[in-house]
Amino acid sequence: MSERLQDWLPRLVLAPSFLLVLFFVYGFIIYTGYLSVSDSRMLPSYGFVGLDNYERLFKLPHWWRALNNLWVFGALYIIICTALGLLVAILLDQKIRAEGVLRPIYLYPMALSFIVTGTAWKWFLDPGIGLEHTMQQWGWESFAFNWIKDRNFAIYTVVIAAVWQSSGFVMAMFLAGLRGVDSEIIRAAQMDGASGFTIYRRIIIPLMRPVFLSAFVVLAHLAIKAYDLVIALTGGGPGQATELPATFMYSYTFTRNLMGIGASSAVIMLIMIFSIIVPYLYSELRSEKKS
Amino acid sequence: MARAVTTQRKTLNTVIAWGIGLLIFFPILWTILTSFKTEGQAIADPPLFLFFDWTLENYAVVQERSDYMRFLWNSVIIAGGSTLLGIIIAVPAAWSMAFVPSKRTKDILLWMLSTKMLPAVGVLYPIYLLFISLGLLDTRIGLTIVLMLINLPIIVWMLYTYFKEIPGEILEAARMDGASLKEEILYVLTPMAIPGIASTVLLNIILAWNEAFWTLNLTAANAAPLTAFIASYSSPEGLFFAKLSAASTMAIAPILILGWFSQKQLVRGLTFGAVK
Repeated sequence: MSERLQDWLPRLVLAPSFLLVLFFVYGFIIYTGYLSVSDSRMLPSYGFVGLDNYERLFKLPHWWRALNNLWVFGALYIIICTALGLLVAILLDQKIRAEGVLRPIYLYPMALSFIVTGTAWKWFLDPGIGLEHTMQQWGWESFAFNWIKDRNFAIYTVVIAAVWQSSGFVMAMFLAGLRGVDSEIIRAAQMDGASGFTIYRRIIIPLMRPVFLSAFVVLAHLAIKAYDLVIALTGGGPGQATELPATFMYSYTFTRNLMGIGASSAVIMLIMIFSIIVPYLYSELRSEKKS
Repeated sequence: MARAVTTQRKTLNTVIAWGIGLLIFFPILWTILTSFKTEGQAIADPPLFLFFDWTLENYAVVQERSDYMRFLWNSVIIAGGSTLLGIIIAVPAAWSMAFVPSKRTKDILLWMLSTKMLPAVGVLYPIYLLFISLGLLDTRIGLTIVLMLINLPIIVWMLYTYFKEIPGEILEAARMDGASLKEEILYVLTPMAIPGIASTVLLNIILAWNEAFWTLNLTAANAAPLTAFIASYSSPEGLFFAKLSAASTMAIAPILILGWFSQKQLVRGLTFGAVK
């Protein structure tokens, strides 16, 4: 009896976690998918309407604006965070004094909630009370920085706040990668007379391809999920200037009561995330099995 | 990597690195300092850095205006409760995958972990509708359960990576000495697993504490935690800089303290274990 229990126990104790995730994540995603092909409006309703909701979704200028904003925000966010993170990591790798104190400071923003970051940056960037106001009070009368109120530039304020929050953390990823590079290879290159810059460009950075890939996956999924930062910073405005798919979905559900369209936008977001993580996880699994 | 760097270069690099650090930390530092100023001093020209009359007045005003303690208490209960619940469910699962792996273990783990990357909007409807029909909207218990569910994959994963670092030989040795499964878990595994569990707890408390999507969408007045508190200050009308600063300092204070101790766990968790 106890023998059999010992055989079964590992699977038995794994079951609750497994089933909870299966049911509450995948089960609910299927339900969302089902709503997206139904005629639900304010309440769920189960009349099948095929791909009508998707058709209507992709005819909405509002949705296209959200997608376009996601593209602008996501691209800048990923590129700037990666570039800054890599540069600062290389800097920190040069035997900086008191690095142990400095690293936590770089990482501090990541420990904060996006909602706090968004709110704080909202005040800093507000022309009436923040940076512009302060600069003018200190005597720089012509100083102007009102991007947050400007339809054409508001999306860049989201990038600023998001980059401030995440670059330290990308730095930590790269720093760990740099520390993992075999010092023998570098010594050999130095013996051959390679300069510091060449060593980084030709040897170290190519060796860190896996880190670039993980940084990309982490940043990309954060960008697609971005919700709280925008809600706190701009509320999607001015107008719809900083609307992202997540805030779009929320407003179509709870303020416009169009559940079917909201659900179809959620499904599109899920497809975007899956198209990033599935190849990544697949490659992870394959490399795992090889080694 | 470590290379020989001249003293001059080293000093220059240190100065630049600290400059960047200051730049990053400045918004936080300035907010904290401003929260102790009077409104007049907060916008003084030239700006006052450290030499002003420190006052706690702003904190009193914020507490009176929006009952900070209630939000704080909600945050403590929700973050603590969801972490505790998650750990109870995840420890056995992680134990089973780390020490009695099967052919599918790695697949199951990655599959579970992948769910943490999915956007919350994908499950917003069913959870929202379920909450309405069960009367769980704006309750602490409802929020505790949801936050436990969304963080469960990361808890299992983190525990697994920590458990994996415990050498299996020790368990075999204990078994050779005739220890039963119960003894093995109680006297051999548990003491070695405590640090990993503590790290996971710390990470998860921060994740749950910072969670805003669900707290904003599923709470109104009763169960609202600090993320909702800070969101209620997001329109600055009627408040001045010093009081806004006090409100945000109060919202981030617990995280500023916890965050200092849990940098490593945070990076490890947010990179899904890629950086240790």
